[in-house]
Amino acid sequence: MKKSILTIALSFILISLAQAADPAFIAAMQKQLAAKATIETFEQSQEVTNGFMRIAEAAESEWLPFYYAALLKTEAAFRFDIDKDKSLDEALELIKKAEKIAPGNSEITALNGYILMGKISLDPAGRGQTMSPEAMQLFGKAINLDRENPRAVSLMSQMELGMSQFFGTGPEKACGMARMSLELYKKEQAKITEEYILPTWGKTQADQVASKCN
Amino acid sequence: MNPRLLLFIAFLLLQTQAFAQATIRGKVLDEKGLPLPGANIQLKGSYDGATSSQDGSYQFETSARDAQVLVFKFLGFKTQELAITIAQGSNEVQPIELIEAITEMNSVTISAGAMEASDASKSVILKPLDIVTTPSAMGDIMGAFQTLPGTSTVGNDGRLFVRGGDASEVGIYIDGMRVGNAYGTTAGNVPTRTRFNPNLFKGTFFSTGGYSAEYGQALSSALALNTKDLSKRSQGDLSLMTIGGGYSHTLANEKQSITASANYFNLGPYQGLIKQEVDFEKAPNGWDLEVAAQKKTGENGLLKIMARTESGGMSLWQPLPGTEKLVLVDLKNNYSYAQANWRTTLKNDWMVFTGISYSNNFDKIAYDSLIIERKSELAHIKGTAIKDFSDRLSAKFGVEHFIHPYSEKLVAEGWKRDFKDHETYLFTEWDFYLNKDLVFRGGLRGGASSVSNEKWVDPRFSIAYQLGDKGQLSFATGSFHQLPLENFRVLNTNLENAESNHLILNYLFSKEGFTFRAETFYKSYDQLVTFEGLPDDPKELATNGSGYAQGIDFFFRDRETFRNTDYWITYSFVDSKRSFNQYETQVQPSFAPKHNVSVVIKHFIVPFKSQIGASFAFNDGYSYTNPNLDNSDMNAKTKSFQNLSLSWSYLPKPNLIIHLACSNVLGRDNVFGYTYSPKTNSQGVFESIPQGQVAPRFLFLGVFLTLSKDKTANNLNNL
Repeated sequence: MKKSILTIALSFILISLAQAADPAFIAAMQKQLAAKATIETFEQSQEVTNGFMRIAEAAESEWLPFYYAALLKTEAAFRFDIDKDKSLDEALELIKKAEKIAPGNSEITALNGYILMGKISLDPAGRGQTMSPEAMQLFGKAINLDRENPRAVSLMSQMELGMSQFFGTGPEKACGMARMSLELYKKEQAKITEEYILPTWGKTQADQVASKCN
Repeated sequence: MNPRLLLFIAFLLLQTQAFAQATIRGKVLDEKGLPLPGANIQLKGSYDGATSSQDGSYQFETSARDAQVLVFKFLGFKTQELAITIAQGSNEVQPIELIEAITEMNSVTISAGAMEASDASKSVILKPLDIVTTPSAMGDIMGAFQTLPGTSTVGNDGRLFVRGGDASEVGIYIDGMRVGNAYGTTAGNVPTRTRFNPNLFKGTFFSTGGYSAEYGQALSSALALNTKDLSKRSQGDLSLMTIGGGYSHTLANEKQSITASANYFNLGPYQGLIKQEVDFEKAPNGWDLEVAAQKKTGENGLLKIMARTESGGMSLWQPLPGTEKLVLVDLKNNYSYAQANWRTTLKNDWMVFTGISYSNNFDKIAYDSLIIERKSELAHIKGTAIKDFSDRLSAKFGVEHFIHPYSEKLVAEGWKRDFKDHETYLFTEWDFYLNKDLVFRGGLRGGASSVSNEKWVDPRFSIAYQLGDKGQLSFATGSFHQLPLENFRVLNTNLENAESNHLILNYLFSKEGFTFRAETFYKSYDQLVTFEGLPDDPKELATNGSGYAQGIDFFFRDRETFRNTDYWITYSFVDSKRSFNQYETQVQPSFAPKHNVSVVIKHFIVPFKSQIGASFAFNDGYSYTNPNLDNSDMNAKTKSFQNLSLSWSYLPKPNLIIHLACSNVLGRDNVFGYTYSPKTNSQGVFESIPQGQVAPRFLFLGVFLTLSKDKTANNLNNL
């Protein structure tokens, strides 16, 4: 009995070291995700970004640390008074690294489109023409890769809303997609457990689009 | 197995770890010894680490022991590692100084003479989109550049004139490869346009002097156009214009893309509706076919291929001063251009580029009963290699070879003359950053020509220094050689290079939404071509001409102050005199007006989904020779040149643009010079004809439709 416990304990440690989703990784991610939820200044954002970058360094085969670091740099560009273009460019670099680890990932593709949306907002006249179709294409690809990804649908609804406002067409298409994304957020909510470290953000933005529909 | 037992074991393990925490603390500083907040500190191989705070200090706990490596990382700084030994309790680590890495983003760039149009560049002088949205440009690349400092508008020519230099003094490159006959052939006073569509290019680099050793055979200026990389999506583009139409189709995936296009234009119907000042027998017309392909090779390589062929012509009645007689001028032009280039990065920070290009221009000009055929070919082979020795020192090495045959023929008489030149060049250029605020660039370009049988070397040098946060000062100097025009060389193949030396001092200030640029320059000219007689029949060709150009120019662009409004203002002063062509004394050339002003304003009206634009160009007049005044050359000046152009772009749908533009809205009767009869009339006066505009105004209406199999839309329908 003693021997078998030891064997199991050892193999447990070995497995946890070898496996991607080892508890230490999850614990480290959870710690940073908890800190991410409380960010109020750019310094705090930088601190959490650094935290994710340390995890990325130690857990080389994981895409999520790069993903969250990129997300933080994107949100920092929207929220804080910093060099926005630079922050978004850095986010794009991180997305490339995540993409290399997990090619064809719907979340990464959707975030890539979100960063482009940020770039467009900084110079709509100069960048809109070339980058809008690119962002739309990325959201379309993200939806194709995972039809349950609420962020891909919600972000696309935001783009659609912007275009319908500009071209004076009705918001029906954007509204339909926003509603659809809210359904998907509901589904996602059901999956969330204590150990859940996959992306869950973006519902507020979907609500905002939906609120313009009535 | 009992899962509780496992949890218990895991808990035990975690507990033991928790008991054994050691604290690491230290400080991160920058090169000046000041605290550096935001740096990422990590114990190698673990999740443990921290971020340096406002005072540069950091602190974290770890269960690791003994010999470990601490990694210090900060974006824009060089990563540093430090071997430490961790003991129980508190561990104080020595302060670490991080050294800032010199990157394109944070370092000073040489801006003397240089104006970059790209979405990436730090200071915004011109954006790629500006080329199609500048009202006076009418979609022509050169039209947009004529609104930049250091250029003059010569309205009856259409080419780019830089700082007192003639149009041939601007070397035009596509992807680093020289383009022969980049402008369409024209006759009379009909302004020409660039052959290449602005949509081909993602960015441009325009230098008004003191440019890189990579370019040569241009006394004044280098214009480098960079073609687009991989297309993002498959689509079709249809254009319908008052002067013609075209279609282009793109097929793209993530590895490669190809675009094929065909265009036809004919000014006949337009000229039938709107009266022209020039008496056209056959309005300017032409067609072109073009294919451009891009392919990714390996990890970082990109192969680009482009081929284009076009044909066009016009025929018009040209008046002769002092007579009622009209001469029929008939022009036909065939042109082909092809190039392929490949660039890739190699190991050990080497980057290589190889390219080959070929252009073939054929003109058939009938002047009354005289028929001339001209044929010019240019083949260019080039290879460059760039090595980054460190973030402070990089070097570029290159070799080029040109084959340049030229011939002209009098068809009826069967007379022919020609030459075939081989030119070889070697160049190298070294960039050295003393720190991120100070850079030196030294270059050397050596050349040899088989026809003129000479060898020459051009040294170039520039320096840039960061002044405060947003300003920078640059200085450039160098020598530049250029062989005479083909039609002179074919008459006397011994003609050697003309030479120009440049001195340029530049100040550039840029902050979000604003760019201000001031530049002053002096350049000398030597060994310019001179001859006896008139340009259409030059005799006794020699290279005895010389001269100078000096001046100052200012540029201001503001995209910030007024909502949805972008404007730029340019003023260029050029004082230029030279003895050249038939002019024995130094005179102000007709193509170098002294005071040049350009204003461009664009405003987006969101409710109307429209961009309206206005551009205004002014100069104080062109010099010309009036034989009725006295015997001296360039003794008169035309009235000032003024042109107000307006445009309106309307986007009713995401894939539809309607563009309306009108040049010279006020209908000013601009005159660029006068042609005089060679003999006086019965009153003893030389009669003259003004060289004016083709028409008081040019009106353009175009509809541009993009058709794409919108994958996103399809996706939505499937959901």
